[in-house]
Order: sequence, then structure tokens, then C-alpha cells
Amino acid sequence: MTPGPIPPVNREDVFPEPNLRFGRLPQYSRVGLAAIAFALRDAGMEQWKTKRFAGLVASTRAGCLVTDIEYYNTVLPGGGGLPSPNLFSSTLPTCFLGEAAIQFGLTGPTLIVNDPAKDALSGVRMALESLSWGECGTMLAGHIDLPAGPAIPGISPPWTGGLFMVLENARDSIANGYGTLDLSDGGAVLHNGIGVPGLNELVRACLAFRGPS
Amino acid sequence: MSEVLITATATITGLGPDLDTTWRRLLAGETAVRPILRFDAGRYSARNASWIEGLETRGDRSLLYPLLERLLDGFVPLPPGCRLVAATTKGCIDTFERVRKGLPGAVDDIPVSGPLAWLAARLGLDDPGVNVNSACASSTMAVARAAAMIASGRADAVLVVCMDLVSEFILSGFSSLQALDPAGCRPFDRNRNGLSIGEGGAALLMMSAEKARGKGIRGIGSVVGWGAANDATHVTAPARDGCGLIQAIRLAMAKASIGPDDISAINAHGTGTVYNDAMEATAFESVFGSRRIPLNSLKGAIGHTMGAAGGIEVAVGLRSLADRTLPPTTGFGEPMERFGFPVSPLPQPIGGRYLLSTNSGFGGINAALVLKGNPE
Repeated sequence: MTPGPIPPVNREDVFPEPNLRFGRLPQYSRVGLAAIAFALRDAGMEQWKTKRFAGLVASTRAGCLVTDIEYYNTVLPGGGGLPSPNLFSSTLPTCFLGEAAIQFGLTGPTLIVNDPAKDALSGVRMALESLSWGECGTMLAGHIDLPAGPAIPGISPPWTGGLFMVLENARDSIANGYGTLDLSDGGAVLHNGIGVPGLNELVRACLAFRGPS
Repeated sequence: MSEVLITATATITGLGPDLDTTWRRLLAGETAVRPILRFDAGRYSARNASWIEGLETRGDRSLLYPLLERLLDGFVPLPPGCRLVAATTKGCIDTFERVRKGLPGAVDDIPVSGPLAWLAARLGLDDPGVNVNSACASSTMAVARAAAMIASGRADAVLVVCMDLVSEFILSGFSSLQALDPAGCRPFDRNRNGLSIGEGGAALLMMSAEKARGKGIRGIGSVVGWGAANDATHVTAPARDGCGLIQAIRLAMAKASIGPDDISAINAHGTGTVYNDAMEATAFESVFGSRRIPLNSLKGAIGHTMGAAGGIEVAVGLRSLADRTLPPTTGFGEPMERFGFPVSPLPQPIGGRYLLSTNSGFGGINAALVLKGNPE
């Protein structure tokens, strides 16, 4: 993930087949749903027949501020119209997790964590805790942020885009994955026993462990 | 696993600046839902909300800060190393509105990290804290998170602070969804027609029972069970079969090592919308079968306080267990068809020691807590 704007995400970039919901989603939700779809596809878990008790947790700094701006433009008298119910239903940063739950049949807990930390790892931390507590056997964890743009200057998250990974308890995992994650007593995220300072570094460590495919 | 006590509570609602006042007025069947004066609500399908009297903006800052100041004024000292878990859905949404209208506003307050940093500084905490956002189940999820942190030994004490404001942003949105009752919400009523929005806050100090008792703190009650599940059905509408809520309740009871026969009262989400209350009725019938457990909703009295709802309901739920009284469901008149659980516009006596508190929200989330009262 890098700072700055990211290109629009279209349905064809994510789903090969027509998708009734995707086209109606604002950019924040599209980015998040796309990242979750890619993570599940990579884990061989995109297709499903019965719902699965897997949880979803993501960290964010700006949340769905971009969607808030888009919605509130329809509220302001100068916005030219009536408040949009479709946009309002996406003005909670968790709503894309609900979209993913529907799309992929995931019935575990869904939450967003707003965290002042700059490492973008809070979602991963919370997921690791949930796994260790036995809350779920599988968690999708990641980070999502989009810049607010000129509508509200000064809010520029250090990382923009969406990034998710599928985490399973090591004892339950049958996948040939990207290594083992753990939490130190102090809350540091460890990859194969070595601390990682941020989400980007964690992804690099995972890819290095997996090697070229 | 460590037992999780709640050792101190505070609330601020449209009914009052403290829990005692809110409790007294809840028992009297009063409502704080009244005409909105803070902004022009004339364009919307309802012009009422439960709002807090006398909140005033200081400079370009959000009304959330005077709300939190009142909430935390006189709160007990926090133990060393106490962690912070906040819950809000829209934080300083009034600042966002001001900035988008071209008025002065503290932009740094708009991301939730703004009020989170304010809270940590105000409370003198080393922990910068996190905010949990799970739509209208945010504070229930925050309490569950805090309980799990303590039960697992990752924390000895956690302060949960829940908060949300009445705003044009929120009112306009629910108006656009045709989800507001112009007459004020009537949970579990045959003629219910939507919700009323509200604002408020709650502070809950949760501690490891061992640590608390070591300090001679008995606590107000315990969080003994928690569970959460997603419907995976619709983003804004609940699953009609109540599948997510059923699962959340069963997880919470399993965590508490109790069964349906042990629950003595239910504080439901009870928004007063047609589909939410019907979904909850289906879920409760499924879990509790023919048992008829006293049930209530606070939202006719204090509105739907969004991210603060579950936290306020925990504080009131613990008072209910202590006083063996379930507050009235304000706004309730005629029972829903085919729903046999006792809902009343009057206080209901309760026995036993376990109260179930539930919330559901956009994105399909459902969360449940089992609270346990202290023995007499």
C-alpha cells in the first residue's frame, strides 16, 4: 500500500461474471470488497455452498469518509437532490464487510477498528486475538483507507487502498500458506517469530516465505 | 479464563446527565424524544430525536467533547495500565457537517482518531486506545472485545467509552430509508413504524475479578457471555429468520455456560422498525421456545443512540439486575401479532441473575451479551 489516490475499481477487475451489487457500491466499498475477494481467491475459498463462520476485521484511519462526502453532497441544499438512501447505507465503514459476508457466505463477527497507530496492523492484531480466543477458526484481516481528497483537505492516510489476508489457526490449517503469524505479549505482530513493523513489511515477509509461484 | 467484572458505570442520555436520573425517568415511562432544535429538520420524515439538553459548541469543536466531559465528570479513578476501547459510529459528525458547509471546524477531529486521542489524554491513559465500529452493535462489540481481553489475560482493566451524536447526517439518512417514525418509536408494538434517533454516551470500567477483589472492589456485575455473528443476508435489512442473532445469542450463552432457562430478562435492540422487531421476535422464539421472559427496549425512551446504544443498555441492564426491575418499553401499546414475550409500558419485576442484551446493525452484524448480577 502506498499514499495517494488509487484508480477506480470496476466489476471486471474483480468478478468475471456480472455482479448485481458491485456496480451500486461506492469506491470505498468496492476497494474493500475487491481486496477480500482477491484474498479468498488466493486461499481457494472464494466459492462456497454453505455459509461459513469466518470473521472479518479491518483497520482504518479515515474510514468511509469519501462515501460520507458523497452522501452528504446529496443532503446539502446545494447538492441538487434528495438524500440518497443507497449512499447512506454505505456510510458506515463496516458496510463493505457486510457486502463481503453476503457475497461469500461469511457469518462470523464483522468489525472495523479505528486506530491511531501508523502500522496498519490493528486489524491483523485483532484477528490474531480472535483466533487465539477461539472466537473463529478463520478470520479475514486487513486494512482499508482512501484519501478524502480536496473536499476535506488535510486528511491523508499514510496508506491507501485495501489489503486483506486469510488467517487460520495453524493447528486447523491445511493450506500451504504464507508462514505463521503470532502476537508477542506486547502486541507486536510476528511473522515466523520475527517482528514486523507494518502491514507492507508483513506482506513482503509473507511473499518472501511463499517464494515465486 | 478470568472472570470479568464491571466495576463502574456512567451514562448520559436524553433523559439525564447520569445513570440515576436516566433510570428514574425510564421507570416513570418518560421519553426524551422531542422536536429537534439543533438544526432544521423540516425536510425529513421525522423531526424528533432524543437529544441532550445544553450541549454547546466550544469554538470550532464538536459537541461530542462536552458530551464526553459530562459523561466522565466524576468517574472513578482508572487503575494503572487500564486499556481504552471506544465505540462510535460517526464520531465528530457535526464537525464534518460544519466543514462541508464551509464553516470553521477542527478537521483533525473528523477521523475517529481525533476523539480517541482526546479521550486518552483526558483520562491520562498510556494506551492510545482503539475504536470499534460495528454499526449499531458497536458498543456491544466493544464490551465483548474488552471482556475477551480481560478473560484471556491480555488486559487487567479496560475502560469502554461509547458515544454518538444526533446529527442531520444521520437523521437525513434514516429519513431517506423511510425508517423513522414521526410519532416517536414504538418498539415491539403492533403499529410500530420506525425508529427515533438519539444521542448519548456510556463509560464502563471492566476489570479482572481477581484484580478488582484484590483492591477490595466488589463490582456492579459481570459480563459472563458474549457472541457475534453476521446474517450474511442484506446490508440494511435484518435476516427475516433471525439466523445471525440466534447464533450470537447461542454463542453468548455457551460462553457463559448457561442455557435458555437461565436467562431471566432480555434487553432487546428493539428499534421499532417493522423488520428489526419482527426479526428479533423470531430469534427469541427460536432460542427460548415457549419460555416467556420479560423483555424490553429502551429506544422509545432515549432513542436509538447508535454506537452508544449497547453501552448504555449494559449500564441500565446491570441496574435492572440489581433492582430486580426491567424498565418499561416506552411507546409500547399493543403487542405484536404472534409474539408472546412480556413487553410492557410499565416496569416488570424480574428474578434470577442473568440478563441478555442484544444489538444488531447495518452490514448484518448481531451481537449478544450475557450480564450477571451480584448475589444479594
